[in-house]
Amino acid sequence: MNALVQTEAIVKHYELGKVIVPALHNVTMKMDRGEFATICGPSGSGKTTLLNLLGFIDSPTSGEVFFDGARITYNGRSNHHKLRLEKVGFIFQTFNLIPVLTAYENVEYPLLLTAKSSAERRTLVERILREVRLWEHRHHKPNELSGGQRQRVAIARALVNNPQLVLADEPTANIDSVTAAEILDLMRTLNEEDNVTFLFSTHDPVVVRYAMRVIRLHDGEIVEA
Amino acid sequence: MLKFIRLAFKNVFRNRRRTVITGLVLVFGAAALILAGGFISFTFRGLRESTIRGQLGHIQIYHKDFFQAEEEKPLQYGLDNVEDLKKIILTQNHVRFTMARIEFSGLLSNGDKSAVFLGRGVEPEKENKLTGFALNVDTGKFLGENLQNEAESEVIVARGLAKTLKAKVGDYLTLMTTTSKGALNAMDVKVAGIYSTGIPEYDERALMVDLHTAQQLLVTQKVSKLVVVLDETEKTQEVASVLDKLLPNTVSRRWDELATFYRAVVRLYDSIFVFLGVIIFVIVVLSSSNTMMMSIFERTKEIGTQLAVGTSRVRLLVNFLYEGLLIGILGGGLGLIIALGLSLLINYSGLTMPPPPGFTNGYPLFVDLVPQIFAGVFLLIMATTVLSTIFPALKASRMKIVDALGHI
Repeated sequence: MNALVQTEAIVKHYELGKVIVPALHNVTMKMDRGEFATICGPSGSGKTTLLNLLGFIDSPTSGEVFFDGARITYNGRSNHHKLRLEKVGFIFQTFNLIPVLTAYENVEYPLLLTAKSSAERRTLVERILREVRLWEHRHHKPNELSGGQRQRVAIARALVNNPQLVLADEPTANIDSVTAAEILDLMRTLNEEDNVTFLFSTHDPVVVRYAMRVIRLHDGEIVEA
Repeated sequence: MLKFIRLAFKNVFRNRRRTVITGLVLVFGAAALILAGGFISFTFRGLRESTIRGQLGHIQIYHKDFFQAEEEKPLQYGLDNVEDLKKIILTQNHVRFTMARIEFSGLLSNGDKSAVFLGRGVEPEKENKLTGFALNVDTGKFLGENLQNEAESEVIVARGLAKTLKAKVGDYLTLMTTTSKGALNAMDVKVAGIYSTGIPEYDERALMVDLHTAQQLLVTQKVSKLVVVLDETEKTQEVASVLDKLLPNTVSRRWDELATFYRAVVRLYDSIFVFLGVIIFVIVVLSSSNTMMMSIFERTKEIGTQLAVGTSRVRLLVNFLYEGLLIGILGGGLGLIIALGLSLLINYSGLTMPPPPGFTNGYPLFVDLVPQIFAGVFLLIMATTVLSTIFPALKASRMKIVDALGHI
């Protein structure tokens, strides 16, 4: 099997006080290595919830998640942070950069959590910042960068540890269409050159056209995969 | 570790105003504790040395039964082989000198009126060497300095007692007391000087005579005690232990065992210092906790991001503790520097404190620079800031990532 990530009959409910809010219902899907796919659907369809489950940020109410063939367990002793650090990269809608750190330091941050030496870190950070064309801005803090530049820093941060899977939650929602197109082209290039699997969520039909594969969600169920 | 300390440093100064305000609380707390501690140390030191050098000496040697029972007659439990004991004492290291004293009481009369006195027979030259600085001879001279007729016996009378008897320098007074054999005896003495000790209640009753005068009056060769004066107060216990073994039929008492007032003052000041320390501790904890909680609340989404990109919860907790530690180091360190500066300023200012209760003279305002106090306060401030960070940091590290990311 070539599936990198896979779900089986995932159900996810949230408890808001006494009310149970269903987010996902019986979601079964898989992504193969090297895919460049999108999850699309209207607001509230469960896109972010599904990305959170695939990225081990959240746990399903029932059902199974598999990563690289291994079933993911959810108990107190699970080391999901290691999986996220080594296997998964995240890109957020609002960039989520650390404001006190420069572009260089934001990209370097995940590497600080590894045992890599200072020289190794510098090599990796420089490589990825050059790939996203931000090396000249490495000393700028997020508030000194444009929206597009911030998202490129976020992409660099997501990729610096050579993850197998990159999850992007509405990565172009907060930037203009021209910049959005640049971002998507960049992600596509990285997918093709580095064979990194990309899965991003969107509700923008223009953005959907960039994907090689579309997974449509509606009211927490997959209607097209 | 260094890489995360750099991150902690940047986060500490993320909101400079808030960090400065919290830092000021730490600086104030540290400086207050160091100044208070230094002042108390100086007060203890002054009181200790004035107790030793103004009254007790470092060690006092008594007859072995002196503290076992009340004397039925004066000097029943006095020391009678004084010269032999002195010879042994003077062979010990750190002993500067030793001198005899006789404590006795009776009535002092000017012929018309009598008053109770508490008398002391002393070796004038040595007594002046030890206690001379603490005695103000208001008029006349100390014992032994005014002898034109060596057959005359002299007395110096404390101010209050002299006033009661309207005594002046040159007047003759009569000492009346019970002898060592239980009989009454009296002796005429000439007032050589009038002095004050700074303690009004004591000045109402005190007088001093030459040791031989006291022995003649009490019809004895014994003395009440031998006072041993050392070159270093820190050697008191060591020398006392040696003397206990060497001197026959005696018992020693260190100055701190005899100085009940000193011990009471130390207890009182220590309690005040601890109370002050607790107040400052609570203020620092509340201030630091509030700062950390605000900081963490503002960074909820960032915390979610850090967890999402692979930071472990333990790493997150430790990073926050680093921030608390840094604030403690910076605030405590600056507090030390400011305390040092203020201490030097006070010490060179020439300011004086008002007289303490029971005393007539004030004393200089001075702050001792005690390394242990500086180090102790610095560690306390650091420990306090780390402690006050623990709860907010634990809360942060236990956040649900999804909830943190969704925080606005």
